[in-house]
Amino acid sequence: MPGDLQQFFYDDQIRRFLLQFTRMFSNFQVEYGREEDGSAALVRIPVRYGDASRHASTIIAENSKNKLPNVPMMTFHITDLKYARDRVQEPYFIDRKTFKQRTWDEESQSYEKTQGNAFSVERHMPVPYNLSLALDIWTSNTQQKLQILEQLLSLFNPSLEIQSTDNYIDWTSLSVVELADVNWSSRSIPVGIDDDIDIATLRFEIPIWISPPAKVKKLGVVQKVIASVFDSNGDANDALLNNDLLLGTRQKITPYGYQALLVGNQLQLLRQNQVDTTEGTLEPTFAQDDNVLWTALIDNYGALRDGISQIRLESEHVDTEIVGTIALHPTDDRLILFSIDEDTIPQNTLAPLTAVIDPLASGPGAGLIPAVSGQRYLLTESIGDDENVTPPDAWGGLVASVNDIIQYNGTEWEVVFDASNRTPDESTNIVDFVTNITTEVQFKWTGAMWVKSYQGLYRGGEWSLVL
Amino acid sequence: MPRLSNWRPTKTNDYKFLDKTISEMFTTGGLDIYVHKYLGPKTVGDSAAREGHEGQDATQPTYDKSDPLYIEDLLLLENRDREYDDSIYVMRGVYAVTDVDFDLSQFGLFLNGDTLFISFHYNDMIDTFGRKLMNGDVVEVPNLKDYHPLDPSGPKALPKYYVIQDASFASEGFSQTWHPHVWRVKVTPMPAAQEYNDILNKPMDPDNPEAGTVEDWMSTKKKNLEINDAIVTQAEAEVPLSGYDNTSFYVTATVNGEPANPDDVQAGNLGTIDGTSPKVDGYLVGYLTGNQVPPNGLPVKPGVSFPPNPGVGDYALRLDFFPNRLFRYDGKRWVKVEDGVRTDLTPGPQTKTQRSNFVNNTATVETSDRGNIPSRQSLSDILRPTKDN
Repeated sequence: MPGDLQQFFYDDQIRRFLLQFTRMFSNFQVEYGREEDGSAALVRIPVRYGDASRHASTIIAENSKNKLPNVPMMTFHITDLKYARDRVQEPYFIDRKTFKQRTWDEESQSYEKTQGNAFSVERHMPVPYNLSLALDIWTSNTQQKLQILEQLLSLFNPSLEIQSTDNYIDWTSLSVVELADVNWSSRSIPVGIDDDIDIATLRFEIPIWISPPAKVKKLGVVQKVIASVFDSNGDANDALLNNDLLLGTRQKITPYGYQALLVGNQLQLLRQNQVDTTEGTLEPTFAQDDNVLWTALIDNYGALRDGISQIRLESEHVDTEIVGTIALHPTDDRLILFSIDEDTIPQNTLAPLTAVIDPLASGPGAGLIPAVSGQRYLLTESIGDDENVTPPDAWGGLVASVNDIIQYNGTEWEVVFDASNRTPDESTNIVDFVTNITTEVQFKWTGAMWVKSYQGLYRGGEWSLVL
Repeated sequence: MPRLSNWRPTKTNDYKFLDKTISEMFTTGGLDIYVHKYLGPKTVGDSAAREGHEGQDATQPTYDKSDPLYIEDLLLLENRDREYDDSIYVMRGVYAVTDVDFDLSQFGLFLNGDTLFISFHYNDMIDTFGRKLMNGDVVEVPNLKDYHPLDPSGPKALPKYYVIQDASFASEGFSQTWHPHVWRVKVTPMPAAQEYNDILNKPMDPDNPEAGTVEDWMSTKKKNLEINDAIVTQAEAEVPLSGYDNTSFYVTATVNGEPANPDDVQAGNLGTIDGTSPKVDGYLVGYLTGNQVPPNGLPVKPGVSFPPNPGVGDYALRLDFFPNRLFRYDGKRWVKVEDGVRTDLTPGPQTKTQRSNFVNNTATVETSDRGNIPSRQSLSDILRPTKDN
């Protein structure tokens, strides 16, 4: 065998239209004269597929030539199936929709009132075809034919809708049955040597779509809507798929524009207009006064699985996504517990800091604990200079600049990180990271300033939810 | 001495001798043929007295007796409702047995090749039958009775019915006297059609009329209706109602454009907390999606008026609207959510489409001088007075 076989798929797509076509012409009646009481004697007209196999026809006739074929009767068969070139659309188009289902209760076999699974459905562009059907109306007399046709022909002005399914997601289910032609009789006029059963034929056209299977995905990621559609070459497909072609015009939009604020190992959901008052500083972030609930947002997309569901953060200061599992906060629905995967946050390149301090405002033994060997401080202000011969007593003869890191070696303070002489190594892509052990906040040296590496505010589009 | 001639304008003894001999040949060599005699159009008439057509239709006269001379429909020239004699006439006939293929070229409804030519002794026919066999008479050929049909629950044998299409003197039935002695009929299989309803409605077993009629056991109609019903059942399972079923999907309730606290929604505490029930079907709104069911299957109070003392977020379904209309109370007013526009698609009174309302209409209209008149009337006879009887 040359290789694995293509997976089989079949969805009764044409067959379901035939079912509904049969239904459309069912339950019609003709008048068989009068009953004894003068009321109309009505008889139902059977409808069935006409192109029956010999085997089935033999069974219907009970394997006997003596069975009496009944009239009136309606049979139909497919006369043609042609590709509809005039209805062709972008063949590679994939439509993506998200759907949230209600919870399914296996026990009662019914939907509950709560949010269940959420799915993302991708539908491939279906292929247009025109299905031609012929409906044969078998009658034994002209009056009968007139009765049937009068009832049927008033249905089509010029068409009647037909649905192959009531599935809300099936975009190929709705079509129309259009009466294309009427052939009055199969007989030769005037009548010949036999009184044959007469056949009037109605010809119908149904524009249908043949579709490959759809793709269902579990919805977990807060969708980022790509606002840019065309690249500079006018190429829509590549622009959708290739980030590099977006010319920086990609916009990421999170539902409701919500932001996520990372505070230690907790995430708070914030409205779009909220700001992180500690942004731009080295101060630890803290929860803001906003009452948006995580449960309200998560229920839009599905159920949160403690310890399995993830949130992914994209920080401009970190090259890779910061990933962590989440769990609902036991007491505060505004917060969510965020267990960061340590492998996804930057590794410190420098020894941890004791604290971030303003050396002009405090010093060892003067607002800070007495100097101990190995203590390291990140300075927010410069202290001393080459011309300053009388630096503050607390720091001895230390001369250091803002953003420098100083360390006490047991006898004196010395600069161990000279910010003015330190730039990220572009050739090795190594930048400096250091954690403040007092606040547990990690900082990154940008070459010009220290910033919080991943703690802080993530705006809409910079974070995503994986349930 | 008269000139020798076999021909005589009158039927002489020669004729009688030959006729008797030929009759004997039929008696000896022929077989019994059962004949259902056509008597004429049924006296109950057809649609001349159809509802709304109270006036006599000159082209569809109502006869007071059955007569083969009558024509039921003088416009279309056809006899649709035929009366057949309850007695069955037995005559000797002769035909050539032929092989017949089960012809499905016309979907199994026809047996094109199954045409017989049956000869009868003319004078015996007149003596027995009272007239010549004619188009419309139905014959049963007993030696073609089909034993062992596929359905063992039915009769042991299925009789073979033919209907006469043509009748004339047989060319081989002219004797030396040039007088004809044989009547030849061309017969084709009888369909289970309106024309033969009088025969089809007779009991299959006269001794056990409860066992069913000829049509019940002989016609393919019953089987075809069963097939039709099975198809409709499946079609209704696949598309119970027109439009789209979106009831399995979840719609997020919102407050000021933001998702509401789901705990409030799940608490079932409707009517007390604004925003705990969706205001609309949201992303599920579309063509023919109105199903008069509140989003997420939340409770609804159906009725012909709004419920008293509603809470914010309560739903009410007004059954006195057509189509039924679903409302939601927003604290100040009942706001329309959707109309129940989905309907059954199988043709019938359960279908609530616009056209069906005109066709499946059994309502009556009360009048001051004509009692209750039907709301459904044919355009050609609309509002014309009708007879009381």
